[in-house]
Amino acid sequence: MNKELEHSFVKELETNQNIVHKICRLYTNNSHAHNDLFQEITIQLWKAYPKFRGDSKFSTWMYRVALNTAITLYRKSKRTVATQDFEAVSFKISSVEYDDTVEEQLKLMYAAVKSLNDIDKALVFLYLEDKSYREISETLGISEVNSRVKMNRIKGKLRTVLNP
Amino acid sequence: MDHLDLLKQKWQSVEQELPQLSYGDIHQMLLKKSSSIVKWIFLISIGELLFWTILTFFVPESSKIINDSMGLKTTFIIVNVLHYTIFTVFIYLFYKNYQSIAVTDTIKDLMENILSTRKTVKNFVIYNVSASVLLLIGVNLFYYTKKEQLYTLMAENYEGYGTIAKESFTSVFFISQLLFGVLLVGLILLFYRIIYGILLKRLQHNYTELEKMET
Repeated sequence: MNKELEHSFVKELETNQNIVHKICRLYTNNSHAHNDLFQEITIQLWKAYPKFRGDSKFSTWMYRVALNTAITLYRKSKRTVATQDFEAVSFKISSVEYDDTVEEQLKLMYAAVKSLNDIDKALVFLYLEDKSYREISETLGISEVNSRVKMNRIKGKLRTVLNP
Repeated sequence: MDHLDLLKQKWQSVEQELPQLSYGDIHQMLLKKSSSIVKWIFLISIGELLFWTILTFFVPESSKIINDSMGLKTTFIIVNVLHYTIFTVFIYLFYKNYQSIAVTDTIKDLMENILSTRKTVKNFVIYNVSASVLLLIGVNLFYYTKKEQLYTLMAENYEGYGTIAKESFTSVFFISQLLFGVLLVGLILLFYRIIYGILLKRLQHNYTELEKMET
């Protein structure tokens, strides 16, 4: 039974690992911390997995546990703050639509998102993942109206970062 | 188009270069131990509860004799019964709060539950410090009214005090009691600054950010 549970869990996580990687990349600054956070999220997911009843999608359930771990449970090591040993993000843009200015803008935008505080970052991340405001509010634990208001404020803030 | 929406479009249409872990890699991770702050908070809290509980057992035999001879035996029994009842209530509350911490909660609920668990322990310590200080003050006031008797007893039980002249005894004794009290409170406050600094600063900060959204 335990082996079966373990197997189905690892399979699910393997399929959905991109979500966790994206969160790790947003919340850490180097590959060491990235792996460290991924490790902690995996443990937290695994500990909570027996209570996962499958009434929501595995991925939906994952967002909550992964964000909770990144924001609240994970202890940032000092190294995390000090160093930055990889590019903020790299998008695989095909050569046909390759556009220097677009890529540059995307990088700036990503860096701006990354500099937001932990909570705002979670909001923007869920927005980028195309979650509805209802899902966003249910993940954060605030009202739908407030998450919409906050999102608009963040958009405004990000706009000023890019067009000062 | 908004820059953020541009990013959103790309975010979904274009694959990001992310590391890919194999089934084996992930499976390995299940064997590792968690190092989450909840685990640390739990360990530290258990440590505090044990520390204060055990501390009450370590009253030196000689000071017991003095207290008993000064006629405080019944008072101390009542104080201890009260003390342990309150301990039990705190430990129960801590356990209940700790049980309510679930990583599958909303971000806000998780933070609230962690903070309230810590608050229970914080109140427990505040209770202990104030109870100790009050007891120290109370006992010393009582002693002060019976200086003569105390001096005789102290000289009998502690060799050091026998060498002190009767006239200076009062000041030596009460000043050392005062110093002891101040030192105790100081150490505890220092300990808390460190604990809160390390574990809860980020959590508190994030919680405030979240609270701000609701106003």
